[in-house]
Amino acid sequence: MRTYAGQRAVLAVVQLGVLSVLVFVLTALLPGDAADMRFTETLTPDQVSRLRAELGLDQPLVSRFVDWFGDVVRGDLGTSLISGGPVVDIVKSSVGATLVLTLATLAVVVPLAVALGIVMGTRENGRLDRAITSVTLALSAIPDFVIAVLLVAVFSLKLGWLPATWIGGSLLASPVLLVLPVAVLLGRTVCLLSRQVRAGTITALHAEYVVQARRLGVPRRRLLLRHVLPNAAVPGVQELARTGDTLLGGVLVVEAIFAIPGFATALVDGVETRDVPVVQGLTLVLAVAALLLNLAADLLCNRLVPRTELLR
Amino acid sequence: MNRRLGGWLSVGIGVGLVGVPVVVAVFGPLVPVRVEAGLPYASAGVLGTDGLGRDVLQLLLVGGRTALGMAIGAVVIAYLIGGLIGLVAASTRHRWLDEGLIRPLDVLLPLPSLLVISVVAVGWRASALAITLAVALVNVPTVTRLVRAAALDAASSPVVEALRMQRASWINIHLGYVGRSVLGPVAADLGTRITLAVFLVASVNFLGLGLSPTAPDWAVSISRNREGLLLQPWSVLAPALLLVSFTLGFNLLADRLLHHTRRRPVEATR
Repeated sequence: MRTYAGQRAVLAVVQLGVLSVLVFVLTALLPGDAADMRFTETLTPDQVSRLRAELGLDQPLVSRFVDWFGDVVRGDLGTSLISGGPVVDIVKSSVGATLVLTLATLAVVVPLAVALGIVMGTRENGRLDRAITSVTLALSAIPDFVIAVLLVAVFSLKLGWLPATWIGGSLLASPVLLVLPVAVLLGRTVCLLSRQVRAGTITALHAEYVVQARRLGVPRRRLLLRHVLPNAAVPGVQELARTGDTLLGGVLVVEAIFAIPGFATALVDGVETRDVPVVQGLTLVLAVAALLLNLAADLLCNRLVPRTELLR
Repeated sequence: MNRRLGGWLSVGIGVGLVGVPVVVAVFGPLVPVRVEAGLPYASAGVLGTDGLGRDVLQLLLVGGRTALGMAIGAVVIAYLIGGLIGLVAASTRHRWLDEGLIRPLDVLLPLPSLLVISVVAVGWRASALAITLAVALVNVPTVTRLVRAAALDAASSPVVEALRMQRASWINIHLGYVGRSVLGPVAADLGTRITLAVFLVASVNFLGLGLSPTAPDWAVSISRNREGLLLQPWSVLAPALLLVSFTLGFNLLADRLLHHTRRRPVEATR
């Protein structure tokens, strides 16, 4: 266990290093740098090149990376080209809404998906299993923005039951704001997760140790909770880490539709205004979050079923 | 008997669901419908007009090329690159080459795809090619792993041993046998991968990170016209239905295919 955790942590550190290089190089490769973007209309080429020297943009890529990385480690993500404020402030002001949205979604998704998966898995190919499978298959084929547009049309515009957009104030103070966004995010994640839990349950139920335990007369409830669930949860947890990607995409879309001032809104704004430092900073923070999520998922899986191997 | 009939039925429905949007996307631009722009959200014409007063039917016919073409193109590119790397990594006898090809991709794997695309979108705004390449890039690591795993399975099978003992040529073994046995898992993966790519391309375009906001693309149409949903529902529902029909159909087909590839070996051992 300790060696696994150690190995996995080393891998995570390597990933972090490569990732920061990647984010830096990707943004450095973009056509047009900070000096071009701000000043081509008002300054002469001569002034632009002087500014470039001032910003350190004429330095070789490697030394620029070292500078940038040093700043990042000290918690400085640079300054926004548009607002002129530090990127860290943008990260701080937008992280709350996204975190609330994500955690609220997970709090509903995980229990629901596990319950559905076990219900389906214990009734393999039964009527209920097939019914839920068809519904989840169909639901997972609908893009989340289509669901969002339709839900807003019905529940906000037509019926007027729920607010269509964020109207200021904290998300926590008025949970009713969260109902539609979370409903949208539920759709695909529950489908993906519950299918994995279902598959895991079926595999576990057919495993020899479960068959043997059943023969020995272990009560069904205990069998499911103690012997089947931990094994069934492994593909679920792994999928959950991968769902992070789907979920993040969903959160981006949901924030855009409901005008929630979170990470995604900041990111899309940054892309629209070509604010490279903001995009760089937000990308780095989100990518690190994704890495840590994967790390946590792998460690948890190893805890549940200690035979999981790291390197093949 | 009944079950087999059900299987064929769902394959038929799947093909039908995928077929309609594909036909619209491929042959739509050839249909000579030229309608002058009119009032926004009017009910003129078959499906009315959109927020800019353009004929919805005409937009639908033209908008499929980007909506489906970018996604399918991205998956094809991802398979060309990832498939090649995966096959080389699986068939090489040099462990360092295998590691050198696969390890870097492990680092890329957990990168959220929309992030990569947003970074690309900052530099190459509204470029269909750049977005397609970005979506392809995002898919390369998983495709490589899948192809490598499938090829390794096949390469370590008794059949390959037998072929080797009969002094079959390298091409015969690797392209003839290993390449062919990779096709099964690849076909099963293609269904879900194309659906996911369509989703990703559509989300990118919906968010305004991709094509320009006046492009006739289906996802862009849904995004642009969502305020007018109650005034003129077809401007949103028609492109949404085509997109959903495509992804739903592909999901159905992929599901059936998975059933087949999974069931066969089990029956063979019995």
